[in-house]
Amino acid sequence: MQALDSIIDQVHTLPPAPRILVELLAVLRRDEADASEVVRLITFDPALTAQVLRRCNSAHYGFAELARDLPTAVLRIGTGEIYRIVANLVGERTLGAAQRGYGIEQGELWKHCAVTAVAAQLVARELGGDESVVFTAALLHDIGKLVLSTSLEGAYAQVLVQTQDSRFSFLEAEKAILGVQHAEVGGRLLARWNFPDNLVRAVWHHHDPLQARPDEQLAAYVHLADMLAHTLGHGYGHQAYAVRCRAEALDILEVTSQDLERFLISTAGSVEEVLTLTSTAS
Amino acid sequence: MPSPSLAALAGFDQKIVVGVGDLAVTNNQAVVLATYSLGSCLAVTIYDPVMRVGGLLHLMLPDSSINAVKAARQPAMFADTGLPALFQAAYQMKANKHRVRICLAGGAQFMGSNGVFSIGQRNYGAVVGLLGRQGLKVHATEVGGLVSRSVALDVGTGEVRLRISGRMENMTLCEGH
Repeated sequence: MQALDSIIDQVHTLPPAPRILVELLAVLRRDEADASEVVRLITFDPALTAQVLRRCNSAHYGFAELARDLPTAVLRIGTGEIYRIVANLVGERTLGAAQRGYGIEQGELWKHCAVTAVAAQLVARELGGDESVVFTAALLHDIGKLVLSTSLEGAYAQVLVQTQDSRFSFLEAEKAILGVQHAEVGGRLLARWNFPDNLVRAVWHHHDPLQARPDEQLAAYVHLADMLAHTLGHGYGHQAYAVRCRAEALDILEVTSQDLERFLISTAGSVEEVLTLTSTAS
Repeated sequence: MPSPSLAALAGFDQKIVVGVGDLAVTNNQAVVLATYSLGSCLAVTIYDPVMRVGGLLHLMLPDSSINAVKAARQPAMFADTGLPALFQAAYQMKANKHRVRICLAGGAQFMGSNGVFSIGQRNYGAVVGLLGRQGLKVHATEVGGLVSRSVALDVGTGEVRLRISGRMENMTLCEGH
């Protein structure tokens, strides 16, 4: 798909690939997640290390004694939670900027992705899915918007018109005006960054999960979580709801509308925490 | 520099932010009750212009039977427990049931929901139904559609202002006095 690749090529302002997430996920998936390996991967980035330590020592975790170094922090908090801290920090770096093409202000896209990630994780926990993988896919699901935003700025007025009369979703408007849509662009971007296939597919098809086979479950988690985040008011930009909701996501995960309401209640409870974590103070 | 007197502070509105599944009622005229990012949630504002009592409820789901324990601890989360709680609190401040002006905002809906994620619609239906059974009518609404909204009730004047996410302008849902 040459046209698509050249769109990605043209964006000189892409943030660095969040490769550390892939590497950490690989470590976590081994039977005995090696804490020292987790520490080693994080320590390559001194700024990240400092931020992780600050988070671990924050009031949120409530430890009486401060952790003075990363190995101590990892031991206390556990590799799973450390992963989520890192993912949030790295995600914020990658996704935090304003996206004018979408009418998204600084931090808004990031907040949406963070809430989606929390929602996805909660659903995965209930249903027995892999929380860390689901969390990551959900965190990165809208990364394609980074690419399209620069292309979209000029065409934005047209997109608004297309979504105004409620006939077209944002994704459909993107496709009509730019020839590509953010989910596919996101998937291709992750592929270019050598992310594992399941994450690539889940992001690529987070708006049409059945197409993500054999990873339709992962895509369904992301789709559901995206809807949950919107429902709680954490969509963003103009025409925030110009999104098509896919019933197939519920079928894939074998959940009912009632289950969705329960998930909403759990997510609403956790959103406060996410919002404090995503404020500029770390 | 000496600290400002109370009189000098009179011009400053105090904003009380109501979160998801929460409500606030006050008769303090210096207060603005506000809530943000409604999404599919529904904001209910009530205002008694004589007693100058104002209330704001930010509810998330229509029916508390899904989680009675949660409803007991956090009635504002559901329409069927939140609405009575809102009105009861207002009555405590001598608001009159038939004098209050009721406004609704929120209840956004995804495209082509097919009843799957139609929480916005169900919230709206539940509130209108509950109010109707009490013989109460809604003064103004800004519900449904594809946008997320934020709402503020100025308890001094009764004005209800609304902002749509991503747009700069405020709109007035209900005029004050």
